[in-house]
Amino acid sequence: MKRHNSQQPPVIITPSAGDTAFPPMVSLSNGVPVYLLGKGTAGLLRVEFVADAGQRREKVHMASSTANAMLTEGTVNHDAITLNDLIDSTGAVLNHSADKETASLVMITLSRKLEEVTALAAEVLFHPSFPETEFRMLIDKRVQAFLTGRQKTSVIGREEFYRALCGNNNPYGRVTKLDDYQSITTAAIREFHSLHYRSDNMYITVAGHDPEKALPVLEKYFSGNGTGMWHKPEMPEIVFETAKTGRIFAEVGNSVQSAVRMGWKGISRDHQDYQGLQVANMILGGYFGSRLMRNIREEKGYTYGINSVAGAFHGIGYIAIMTEVANSYREETISEIKKEIMKLCRDEVGQDELSIVRNHFMGEIARMFDGPFNRAETIRGIIDYNTGHDYFARFVETVKTITPGKIKELFNTYFNIDNSFEIIAGAK
Amino acid sequence: MIEFERDTLSNGLKVIVHYDDSTPMVTTNLLYDAGSRDEDPEATGFAHLFEHLMFEGSENVPVFDTPVMLAGGENNAFTNNDITNYYITLPANNLEIALWLESDRMVGLDLSESRLATQKSVVTEEFRQRYLNQPYGDIFLLLRPLAYKVHPYMWAAIGKDIGHIEKADSKRVIQFYRRHYSPASAILSVAGAVKPDDAFRMAEKWFGDIPSPAKIARVLPVEPQQKGRREITVHRDVPAAQLIMAFHTGGRDSRDFYILDLLTDILSGCDSGRFPSVLVRKKELFSDADIYLSGEIDPGLVIFSGRVKSGIDIKKAESAVMSELNRLASEAVTTAELEKARNRYESLRLLSYLSAANKAFSLAFHELLGDADGINTEIARYMSVSAQEIIDSAARTFSPDNCSVIHYLPEVK
Repeated sequence: MKRHNSQQPPVIITPSAGDTAFPPMVSLSNGVPVYLLGKGTAGLLRVEFVADAGQRREKVHMASSTANAMLTEGTVNHDAITLNDLIDSTGAVLNHSADKETASLVMITLSRKLEEVTALAAEVLFHPSFPETEFRMLIDKRVQAFLTGRQKTSVIGREEFYRALCGNNNPYGRVTKLDDYQSITTAAIREFHSLHYRSDNMYITVAGHDPEKALPVLEKYFSGNGTGMWHKPEMPEIVFETAKTGRIFAEVGNSVQSAVRMGWKGISRDHQDYQGLQVANMILGGYFGSRLMRNIREEKGYTYGINSVAGAFHGIGYIAIMTEVANSYREETISEIKKEIMKLCRDEVGQDELSIVRNHFMGEIARMFDGPFNRAETIRGIIDYNTGHDYFARFVETVKTITPGKIKELFNTYFNIDNSFEIIAGAK
Repeated sequence: MIEFERDTLSNGLKVIVHYDDSTPMVTTNLLYDAGSRDEDPEATGFAHLFEHLMFEGSENVPVFDTPVMLAGGENNAFTNNDITNYYITLPANNLEIALWLESDRMVGLDLSESRLATQKSVVTEEFRQRYLNQPYGDIFLLLRPLAYKVHPYMWAAIGKDIGHIEKADSKRVIQFYRRHYSPASAILSVAGAVKPDDAFRMAEKWFGDIPSPAKIARVLPVEPQQKGRREITVHRDVPAAQLIMAFHTGGRDSRDFYILDLLTDILSGCDSGRFPSVLVRKKELFSDADIYLSGEIDPGLVIFSGRVKSGIDIKKAESAVMSELNRLASEAVTTAELEKARNRYESLRLLSYLSAANKAFSLAFHELLGDADGINTEIARYMSVSAQEIIDSAARTFSPDNCSVIHYLPEVK
C-alpha cells in the first residue's frame, strides 16, 4: 500500500517545558500557607488541604489512613447520611487520601458554592465524630478488599517489594495482616486525629479562576486553632533495615500470571544524582519506547506492560522494575531485564535515543504545569518533599545537559545487579 | 458553550476543531467507526488486536512513538464495542506531526507477520492480566453472552476467548484494515491552542489525498426483547459474593439514556445516593452497591453490581435491590434528589471539560452519534428530565423478565 501522494514529513519543533514557576503564597492570619494557582475555566475551584498526617506519623498501624477515610463518615453536627447528602447536594466532590507522608482532602466545587462547601470541609476536617457503626462498616469493607488482594499478584508483589526495601518494622515496609483490622480502634484514630488535623498543621492550595477570591472564605473557616497549647508531635523514630538482596518468592494460589519486581535501594530527592537518575530510569523503563518495553513487550511479547520507577520517600529512595508475565516467562523476563541493564552499564546511549527522552521529559513537564488543577498536584510534590521552588527549573537544566557518559556512570552506580532484590509473586 | 467549527474533506473525513487558548497543548482525536460489534463471531477481539497493530509503524514512520516523543507528546488509544479511538496530546506548535502520523497509519500501516505474532502474544497477556488473573475479572465475559443472544454486544472488546486471538491471521487483519480504516469511517477532532483555519489546512494537506472506498452500511442483528429472567451461578476463588443484575434499555440516542443516566446518579453516583444509603449503610446487605449504564450506541444495559456482605444470602440481597428498583416505578424521586443530580452533572461536566483531550473525544463521539453539537445540546436533555419520566422509564426497564442475573459466589472449601 503505497501512499497516494508522499510529502516531506513536517519538521518537529523541539518542545519546551514552558513556565514552571512556583506559585505565589499568602498566609491566613494564623500563618497557614495558601498557594494560589490562577487561570483556568471560570466556574470551578479546586481546593486541597494537606495535613502533615501521613502514615509516617502513626504509632498505631493504619491510624492515618483510617482517620482520613472516616472524615466524611459523620461529624459532631451531622450523621454520615445527612453529612454526605449535604456535600453531594452542592454538586461538590470531596476526595480524601492518606499516603506514607501526608494526608489530604480535596474539594472540587462550583465557584458559586464555595462558602457552603468550605464550611463542610472545615467541619469534616476538624469535627469528625468517628462513629462506631460507620467505623465497623469501613473495617469490614477493608477486610474484604484485603482478602481480595491476597489473590492479586500485583498487590502481593508490591507488598513484598516494600518489605524487602525497608524492613517490616516501619510504616514504609510494614505488611498489613488480617489481625491488624482487629487491633485498630476508634480511640486510636481519635487520638491520631486530635494530634494532627489542625489548620496550623496543614497547607492549602487553591486552583482555578481568581483563586484570591477564596481567601476571605478560607480566613473565616481555617484561621482558627492556630494558637494555644498544641505542640507539633515528635516524629516517631523510623528504622529502616538494610535492603534485602536475592530472590524472594511469594506464592499466590492459582494465578495464571506472576508479578515480577526487581529493586534496589535508591537515593533521596536532594541527592545530587536524583534528577540524573530520573533520566537514566526513563531510558530503561520509563516510557512506551523504553529499552524494557521494546525488548520484553514489543520484541518478545512476554507482557502487556513493563516499567521502572526511581523515587524516594522521606528517608529512603528506591528503584523498582515492575511487570506481570505468564508464569512460564518469568525466568526469561528476569534474565532479559538483567541483559538490558548490563547493556546500559556497558554502552553509552546514543544521541538519538537521548533526544527522544529529553523531548519526552519536556512534554511531560509541560503537561504537569498545564492548567491550575495539574499545577496544584505538581507543586504538592515540591512542598511535601521540600525539594525547593526551583526544582523543575533545575530538572529542565539537568535533562538538557546530562551526557551519555554520566548516564552510563549512573547505571553503574545505582543498577548493580549483584545487590538487587527480585520478587516473584505467583503460582509455584 | 463549547464552540467548534466543522468541515468534511472530499474523501468523506469529517474534521472538527475547537479552539482553547487556556492550554499550550493540542489534542488530536481520531475516532474510527469500528468496534467489536463489527467482528465476525468466529474471530472476536479483532478490533482491539488491530488497535495494537496501529502502533507498530507505517510506511513513513518505522516506530510510531518516536516522533510523538520527540514532539513532546503522549498518545494512546482504546477499543470498545462500538469504536476504536486514537489520541495524541502534544505542544500546539507540533500539531502537524500528529496529523502526519495519523494520516500515515490510516493509509500505509505496516502489517508484517512478525509484528502480528508479537501483538497476538501481547494481547494474550493483556487478556490474562486484566480478565483472568484478577479476582472478579471475568464478570463481563460472563454477563455479555447471558444478556445478549444475537447482537454482537454478546462478546467483550477483548474477545470471547484467548483462542480467537491466537488464531488471528494476516489475511483477516488486512481485510479488517481495508474495510474499516478509511477517511469515510473516521472523525478527526482537534482541540487546543490552534485556530480552526490552520487545523483545517493541515488536515487537508495530510488526509486530503487518501482515497476512500464507500463506507459499507452496518447491518447488525437486532436483539429481540428479553422475555424471562436469566440467571447463572458461578463459583470462583474469591472472598465474597458479587451480585450482578443487568436490564436491557435503549440506545445512546434514546430518551431513556438521559433519564437513566440521571437516575443511576441519584441511586449510586455519590455516597449519599439511595444504594449506598439504603443497601450499604441502613440494611448492611452490601459493602458496595453501584448501578450504571453500559453506554453503548446500540441498545445497551443498565447494570447493578454489588459486593454482598459475608453472612448475607445473595437472594435476600437481590430482592432488596429489586424492591428499591420497583419503588422507582411507583414513587417519584424527590425534588432534592433531582436537584442534587443536576448540580453534580453541572460540576462534573465542567471538571471533565477542563481537559482539551476530553473535549476532543466528546466532540468526535457526538459527531458519530449524528451531531458534534450534542456536546452542548445534551445539557438541556439532562436538565429537562422530570420525575414523571423517571417513573415511566423505571417501569419500562426494571422488570424481572428483562433481567439477567449472575450470582458470583466464593468456592465452597
